[in-house]
Amino acid sequence: MTPIAAVNGTALAVFGVIVAVTLVISWFASKRVNTATDFWAAGRGLTGPQNGFAIAGDYMSAASFLGIAGLIYLFGFDGFMYSVGFLVAFLTVLFLLAERMRNAGKYTIADVLSYRLKQEPARAAAALGTLTVVAFYLIAQMVGAGVLIEGLVEIDFSLAVLLTGAFMVSYIILGGMLATSWVQIIKAFLLMTAAVVMTIWVLAKVSWNPIDLFTEAEGKSAEGEAYLKPGLFLSSPLDTVSLGLGLVLGTAGLPHILMRFFTVPNAKAARSSVMWAMVLIGAFYVMTTALGFGARAILGQGGEEAAGATGNGALPLLADNLGGEFFQAIIAGVAFATILAVVAGLVISASGAVAHDVWSNIVRRGQDSESEEVWVAKIAAVVIGAVAIGIAILGGEGLNVSFMVGLAFAVAASANFPALLLALTWRRFNTAGAITGVLVGVISSVALVIISPTVWPGPDSEGGLISGYDLANPGIISIPLGFIGCWLGTMLTRERVEEFSFDELYVRSETGLGAEAGTGLTLTGRSDGSREADERELVGNR
Amino acid sequence: MATTEATRTTTGSDHHPEIDWEAAERSPEFRELIRKKRSFVVPATVFFLAWYFGFVILAGYAPDFMGREFLTDGLTVGYVLALSQFVMTWALGAWYLRKADREFDPLAERAAQVALRRRDNGGTS
Repeated sequence: MTPIAAVNGTALAVFGVIVAVTLVISWFASKRVNTATDFWAAGRGLTGPQNGFAIAGDYMSAASFLGIAGLIYLFGFDGFMYSVGFLVAFLTVLFLLAERMRNAGKYTIADVLSYRLKQEPARAAAALGTLTVVAFYLIAQMVGAGVLIEGLVEIDFSLAVLLTGAFMVSYIILGGMLATSWVQIIKAFLLMTAAVVMTIWVLAKVSWNPIDLFTEAEGKSAEGEAYLKPGLFLSSPLDTVSLGLGLVLGTAGLPHILMRFFTVPNAKAARSSVMWAMVLIGAFYVMTTALGFGARAILGQGGEEAAGATGNGALPLLADNLGGEFFQAIIAGVAFATILAVVAGLVISASGAVAHDVWSNIVRRGQDSESEEVWVAKIAAVVIGAVAIGIAILGGEGLNVSFMVGLAFAVAASANFPALLLALTWRRFNTAGAITGVLVGVISSVALVIISPTVWPGPDSEGGLISGYDLANPGIISIPLGFIGCWLGTMLTRERVEEFSFDELYVRSETGLGAEAGTGLTLTGRSDGSREADERELVGNR
Repeated sequence: MATTEATRTTTGSDHHPEIDWEAAERSPEFRELIRKKRSFVVPATVFFLAWYFGFVILAGYAPDFMGREFLTDGLTVGYVLALSQFVMTWALGAWYLRKADREFDPLAERAAQVALRRRDNGGTS
């Protein structure tokens, strides 16, 4: 489907090297992972910069690398709207959730949501939100990986998806969050390097004048002036705003991103990791200007057919144009590493929802052993991987990657974000509020997408299934509905005696008093005895 | 170290009933932390959302304005405003980190110490 030519031995070799290196690292990691905290949270021993790289590696998916460059190539300015939204979203994370998650949490977002609510129902709601987001996100990435590998190495799509799934599950089974963190950090280095090299190369082609990039791109687009204006891709103004809302609040509801804050020793490291991530991610998205507008300036109109309807092929084409087949293979390898790092993060967060939330805390009511929980997590990772592989192969190349990722953001913003934020800040909030909020958020965002024109395209349907409704992005309706669900559920019920008080969660999340301790495991070794615990931890030092 | 006993369970985040959380929440030290933090985070959040949605709304409803030339041919108002979002994100982030290191962390530490002292003194402080 991706129209990039020829069996590519170089690409195969690059893919092989990436897989070999990451598997070897995971194998070494497997020997150092002893406890559940090591498995879920890498022992909470990552430094701020390390976790910042890992967040960048966790966050920037194929939709960012291939997708945004492709959208800019095809539609100009509108593609860059995604870059802006994806970055600004981290201010929401930094101001509202990062430190609180670290202070109040343990392994999963359900630990924070259910802290002072009724354990089982609140956990079930959080697990539902997590699994829904991960399902859409994961399948999108698997399809992206399949298309990429099929196009570049000429392996059959199904086999490509199967291999990607097998590698992603291997990382988790071997080294849990420690291995996942390593894969994500390596990927962030590769991705940033690739982006810098391509940006410099593109700028050299336009005699180092970034402004020429725009004028040349404009000149080579059939749309002319409109190419540098908003409106080619996001044609409805309300849809643009709705997308913006989904992006800026969605990141703060992505379980695989929030889970990363449990891997650092304290709140200070959590916020510094967000800053590192913002610098890396921001720098990358600024460079999407050179990648996207550069693809237009260099490839011109000619690459449009080859880039495909979503434009995902534009970046590999640009790489081929710049540095030939060898360079294209390198870029494809980076894109592959990008996908592997993201899917590994997604699978570990989903297996957390299944093993830690559903199995240990709902089915076994906290009576199972740590080793049982980790075993269940590994089995869950295999099952989740198998299901994702199955759906990706069945749904096949027809599934639109950016659309699925957009849907994941919408669910995250409408279901997970309102419930988490209110659990941490609103005293009155209760279990019924959490459940209705998550349910309303999940159902409304999925339902609105199902009736949207994206799913019901066609000449006679200017609107979608229901006439008059033409939003492709549900955020502007489903996010308020998520908040209203939380509020209504809370106001209509009165919970009897709370088991644990809001005061405990509130003081703990703001000060770190009582926060979970690390195990001494670090990214590269183990700091026995001299564990640099947060001074405010209750466990261990007092 | 009490680590083993406290973390070798499969339940969620541990609870610490030995602390008087209600008193900790009402302590002037904690109140001051919340007040100081809020007086930064609330305006900063309102500002970044306004700046971002101002940009998004302009992109949606005023595409021609966004397509206007800015200083030189090829550079548009829209792109400059988009870049301003990056600058804003980094600047607000750096500012928050500075405030947190210098102002919020010491206050949080003090509030935590007060709660711990109350525990050690058997409820009176």
